[in-house]
Amino acid sequence: MAQVSITQLFAQAAQEVNGKKLSGLTKDTVISKLGLDSVAVMELVSFFEEKLDIRMPDEELAKVQTLGDLGALVKRLSPAGTEVSF
Amino acid sequence: MPEIYDYPNLIAAIDGSKGMVDKGFTFLDRDQKELFFSWDGLREEAKRRAAHFRSYGLKKGDRLAMVLPDGEDFVPTFLAAVWAGLVPVPLYPPLSMGKLDSYVDTLVVILNKAGPTHIATNAKIQAVLWSGLSKVSSLKGVITAEELRGPAPEGVPQEPAVVTDNDLAFLQFTSGSTSTPKGVAVTHGNLRANAWAIMRDGLKSDSAIDHGVSWLPLYHDMGLIGFVIAPMFHKVQVTFIPTMAFVRKPTLWPETISRVRGTISFAPNFAYALTAKRSKPEQLEKWDLSSMRALGCGAEPINPTTMRTFVDLFAKAKLKPEAMLPCYGMAEATLAISFIGLDEQLSTDVVDQEIYQMQKRAEPVHQSKMGEGKAQEFVSCGKAFPQHEVAAFDGDGNRVGDRRIGELWVRGPSVASAYYLDVAQTEKTFGGGWLKTGDLGYVVNGNIYIVGRKKDLIIINGRNYDPQRIEWLCDDVPEVRKGSSVAFSRPGAASEELIIVVESRTENQAALKEVISQKVNEQLALMAAEVVICPLGSLPKTSSGKLQRSKTRQQFLDGTVGKEGNRSLGSNAEKLVLARHVALSLLGRTQHRAKAVVAHAKEIHSVTDAVGKLMLAGNYLSKRVTTILG
Repeated sequence: MAQVSITQLFAQAAQEVNGKKLSGLTKDTVISKLGLDSVAVMELVSFFEEKLDIRMPDEELAKVQTLGDLGALVKRLSPAGTEVSF
Repeated sequence: MPEIYDYPNLIAAIDGSKGMVDKGFTFLDRDQKELFFSWDGLREEAKRRAAHFRSYGLKKGDRLAMVLPDGEDFVPTFLAAVWAGLVPVPLYPPLSMGKLDSYVDTLVVILNKAGPTHIATNAKIQAVLWSGLSKVSSLKGVITAEELRGPAPEGVPQEPAVVTDNDLAFLQFTSGSTSTPKGVAVTHGNLRANAWAIMRDGLKSDSAIDHGVSWLPLYHDMGLIGFVIAPMFHKVQVTFIPTMAFVRKPTLWPETISRVRGTISFAPNFAYALTAKRSKPEQLEKWDLSSMRALGCGAEPINPTTMRTFVDLFAKAKLKPEAMLPCYGMAEATLAISFIGLDEQLSTDVVDQEIYQMQKRAEPVHQSKMGEGKAQEFVSCGKAFPQHEVAAFDGDGNRVGDRRIGELWVRGPSVASAYYLDVAQTEKTFGGGWLKTGDLGYVVNGNIYIVGRKKDLIIINGRNYDPQRIEWLCDDVPEVRKGSSVAFSRPGAASEELIIVVESRTENQAALKEVISQKVNEQLALMAAEVVICPLGSLPKTSSGKLQRSKTRQQFLDGTVGKEGNRSLGSNAEKLVLARHVALSLLGRTQHRAKAVVAHAKEIHSVTDAVGKLMLAGNYLSKRVTTILG
């Protein structure tokens, strides 16, 4: 059964995409407040998709505001039984 | 000799597609699966979808808003709207993660300006847009992409509308978050002229061999005119990569060019930087871009370093250096104004910084001056297309000569004549047959060089930002002195970068910088490369109290921002500066007086007399200083 830590993965993605060190991420962290531009955000999405082997549709992404929302989307798109934590 | 197509308008170009089943537009999805529409198939789509529109009561001249993220929905729907004589208004779809509220707000502003009777969108986006649509009084209904894909309603005519050159073809809203979006009114005559300029004069296209590849957004002029309308006129096949797929994985772009043997592709500067960054050596070895003959770069300031890096790197993928094609254009001129020659390589002009800044003249100097920071380098964007003209004008509207920097004005058949229902903006921009571009630049033997935006518009990653908007956001931060924020861009490694300078007396500068960066990022999805905090009163203002953006920018680049000048008596530090000025001027006056004193020296007959006169002079000085400084 797969285990996914959203905050950990997000921090790893940000580090890889634009060398940004993020700390103190929680379920309530608002993504638009992290100092990432729109291209970086899309690259980050791509990182998530590749790591987790899922597809996040653009319309769904438009509704994602917090890491909690992102976690919920990841859970919905992942195979049954995947555990999503923060 | 290539076959030349010379249709009178876009509708005729669509109609002329009848029977052409071998080539057309190919849409890739995220998995690179292909959906192909032949030219003939696109004509059928246009007819069928036009019937859908007519069944809703839409008639010639009615505006149709379009929010369709997928190319295979967007392109046939756009062509069908034109076929039916409607005026499509392409709009950008909601982008990822957050900012939905500000997206909907902007959308409502644009829609209320365009006054569409209907909006075409897909079922998923419709759900997201609903909160905004109720605020648009002209809207009578939503037409979904799903419905448009279905069979034509029976008994509704499918024949093309009859149009003239002066009829409106579509409304092109300017990109980005400039304070008031303006819709360029593009006519059928403009479209034919610009399609000809691009495909015939600029690219010398040959439908037998050419193949366009584009990931550009279709709601943007470069994607829509460059890769849908102009190729439809001149029957150049195109493969479309979804924009979001490119942003997620930029290497899809060279990969697709290599796979389909692409010959024409365009992108803004930032995309070249991003793609170079993401391309791995083993990929470069594998790709073959030798077929590429026109790799255009435009829509934002062209960074010569980015271009050279890309050309050097992609030489490994067999890209010819002369394929790189800097160009100049804007939505107000439909799209393109100039390209460099097809057989020319990137060429730049290195000019003396001092003369450029002080005399508004581009005086060529040796390349080596660049390293010493005494020169600026500008990319040649080539010559204006035939029947089009570009010239630099000074502030009084007089045409200036070669190498003189001024505002670039453009005229010719591609230039639109108005912003839609916006008399004030139209009068400012269009007049006397010239389009005042707002770009500063110069011309040398017909070659166009752009040096910056007259109004300091900030263009980052292909999006326009009005500095005023950013400054307003900063002004809202409690610690920032109201009306004392300046935003501008500086050339960065890849694209332009945002710099913000504010006045504040805060003790915790790091915290304030963080608050400002976050706020700007949150509101505009824009990252500040640097936030500078200056003492109160240190930024240059005009006599009427307006901040001087270009001067602040220059001070920033010179490293003197916040360190010189003064305009009010806000703090002790500033009083000190003023005291120094007063002292200097009094000293000057004293020296002047000293001559008189010397002349009277003979009259001093005793020590007491001399001391007395010196004391008087001292008292006078100290009184003057106290009066001035309070």
